[in-house]
Amino acid sequence: MRESGKGLVLDCRGLRKSFGQLVAVDGVGFQIAEGETYGLLGPNGAGKTTSISMICGLLARDAGEVIVDGKPLTSRSVDAKRSVGYVPQDIAIYPDLTARENLTFFGRLYGIGGSELKARVDEILGIIGLADRANDRSEEFSGGMKRRLNIGIGLLHAPRLLVLDEPTVGVDPQSRNAILESVASLSTEGMAVLYTTHYMEEAERLCDRIGIIDHGRLVAEGTRRELVELVGKHDRIRMRASGAIEDAAAAVHGLDGVRKAAASADGIDVIADRAADSLAEILGIITASGVAVASVDVDEPDLESVFLHLTGRALRD
Amino acid sequence: MRLFVIAGNSIRRLLRDRTNIFFVFLMPLLLILVLGSAFGGAFDSRVGVVDVGSGELGEDLSRRIRGISGVVTTAYDDRDALVLAVERGELEAGVLIPRGFDQALRDGEEATVDFVARPEASAQALRNTVDAVVTEQGAILRAATFARESAGSDFAEALRMAEELAAETQGLTIEQQAVGEPSAFQEMGRFDLGAYSQLLLFVFITSTTGSAALIESRQLGVSTRMLSTPISMGTVLGGELLGRVAVAVFQGIIIISGTSLMFGVNWGDPIGAAAIFLLFALGAGGVGMLMGAVFKRYQQAEGVGVMIGIGMGALGGAMVPLSIMRMFSPTLYQVAHATPHAWGISAFEQLVLYGGTVSDILPQLAVLAGFAAVVIALGTWRLRIALTRG
Ligand SMILES: Nc1ncnc2c1ncn2[C@@H]1O[C@H](COP(=O)(O)OP(=O)(O)O)[C@@H](O)[C@H]1O
Ligand SMILES: [Mg+2]
Repeated sequence: MRESGKGLVLDCRGLRKSFGQLVAVDGVGFQIAEGETYGLLGPNGAGKTTSISMICGLLARDAGEVIVDGKPLTSRSVDAKRSVGYVPQDIAIYPDLTARENLTFFGRLYGIGGSELKARVDEILGIIGLADRANDRSEEFSGGMKRRLNIGIGLLHAPRLLVLDEPTVGVDPQSRNAILESVASLSTEGMAVLYTTHYMEEAERLCDRIGIIDHGRLVAEGTRRELVELVGKHDRIRMRASGAIEDAAAAVHGLDGVRKAAASADGIDVIADRAADSLAEILGIITASGVAVASVDVDEPDLESVFLHLTGRALRD
Repeated sequence: MRLFVIAGNSIRRLLRDRTNIFFVFLMPLLLILVLGSAFGGAFDSRVGVVDVGSGELGEDLSRRIRGISGVVTTAYDDRDALVLAVERGELEAGVLIPRGFDQALRDGEEATVDFVARPEASAQALRNTVDAVVTEQGAILRAATFARESAGSDFAEALRMAEELAAETQGLTIEQQAVGEPSAFQEMGRFDLGAYSQLLLFVFITSTTGSAALIESRQLGVSTRMLSTPISMGTVLGGELLGRVAVAVFQGIIIISGTSLMFGVNWGDPIGAAAIFLLFALGAGGVGMLMGAVFKRYQQAEGVGVMIGIGMGALGGAMVPLSIMRMFSPTLYQVAHATPHAWGISAFEQLVLYGGTVSDILPQLAVLAGFAAVVIALGTWRLRIALTRG
């Protein structure tokens, strides 16, 4: 829940967007307070980018409203966009310009100029760890460096609301860690952060509150603990397995004491009332259906199991 | 102004690419050479003159025509020989000073100088020069007459006479006759298209292919990113357009000043020429913007840009003169005026061939401005949809 006493930076309600027959976003709404990091967690195609595009005024919406820092924001707004730093999912920089030129150009668009701009660009170059490559063209950068520059542009004008759309996709683990750490430090400076991801671990690690989005709808929202409690007192059984995992999962699903079972990226995820009671039977069914199980983990439920619980499907790539 | 930030950035990026430097700087220089040698003073116009039996004043006029710079005169004995030479394209034009020209003028009678040329635009330019010489002779004749007649009469009488003479024409008229067929297609090289046709053709192609850069911005996602900053869609689009038009105008300045300084190519009244060129470049930029909104792929826009540029140029009279187009197909001539090229060329003709100024080309300027306004509005509308409707 939003902590009282802190100002609301983003308030969006009833966002809706269709592309032809497809309803990509259907009534999404949430609030983010000062200093809070809000995670929008959902699989590919859930409607995260579409929601964010409407929030940042990049996409004309079919319905809903967005208020940033007390000001309504639409695709025609100019002034309200001052409060928002937008970091697109697909890297949006000029490959033929240097890191410094990219930052300077967007800094000017944000209305920063002169010595202030130069100081700010130097500062950002330091934060994103590109100070020594400032005058190299960005097309020469590694994927991680491009990602960092992409993020740096959104930070230039010290926005009230920073919107990051899957900023770690396609990034090596080291760069990924650096990005996550700098995002964590930004929210301690009072910036409100909206962070979308389909990586459960990132949402768990970074976000104060998480909204789970699927098929354009926000299916649940809360802190990690609140969300996990939705699953109830259950155990999560995760098996690495290969073979006809879809069929095996379906067979397991029918067992007594099993709440949910679904194929995941590399095996089968099961939510059971008590792992100790059901595990032997589950493994029996799975091996009987010709699936080879490589390892079994039994855990407290996590966001993965929340997603499974709420949608009946695994949250996977 | 953030408009200029975007425009400046677009120019900076354009110049960073070596192949673009070729198009931005070297192509205009190449055009200067091509246009300069084709339309500059390097080639003299050949004019035939018949002045047999025209008397002292006739020979004086003949001398004056010979004195025109850029004109080489040849004497002919009779009208038939002169007309034949013009028809065969051995001469650009012929001037017939009639027998008894001198006596007629001295007697205060009408005298008519015939001007013979093929129906081509270049002939009009020559005719204007010959006109000027005839007028000049007329003025001197008037002064001479005035001096002779007023000698011995009192001042008031002289003044009255001077006024009368000034009001009166000297009875000198020029009649133009077109002879022969206009040059046909096999004589491409002799088409008089004017350096301005080539300039407009070139600038238009530069602008339409420039739309590829807009598509690149869209593909890179930077156009969308710009929309997330506190600037309006109009500024984003205006900035991109301004960058393109600035490059086109820059090229135009190089081409116009280069050809006129180095080769003496005539572009007519400078203010008029600047107005035509600027409005034309805006329209071309607008077409580029529209294409940048409609097409999704870079290569598509570049290819289609060249095709549209050449196609509209050809239709608009930048390859075959409009005057010839009108003779072959009046319908095609009308269709040609759907292109800005036709209006730009017609405006330049006013300036270059007829010595017109801005006030003479207001209709053409209005059409060019209207075209620019329409395509820019359409382009903005389509781009806004392309960018914000998903
Ligand atoms: N411009 C578009 N035109 C048509 N469909 C789109 C467009 N953008 C997104 N979609 C569709 O909308 C749904 C949500 O997409 P998106 O918001 O990108 O999801 P996410 O960011 O969560 O992966 C997907 O099914 C996607 O295919
Ligand atoms: Mg997305």
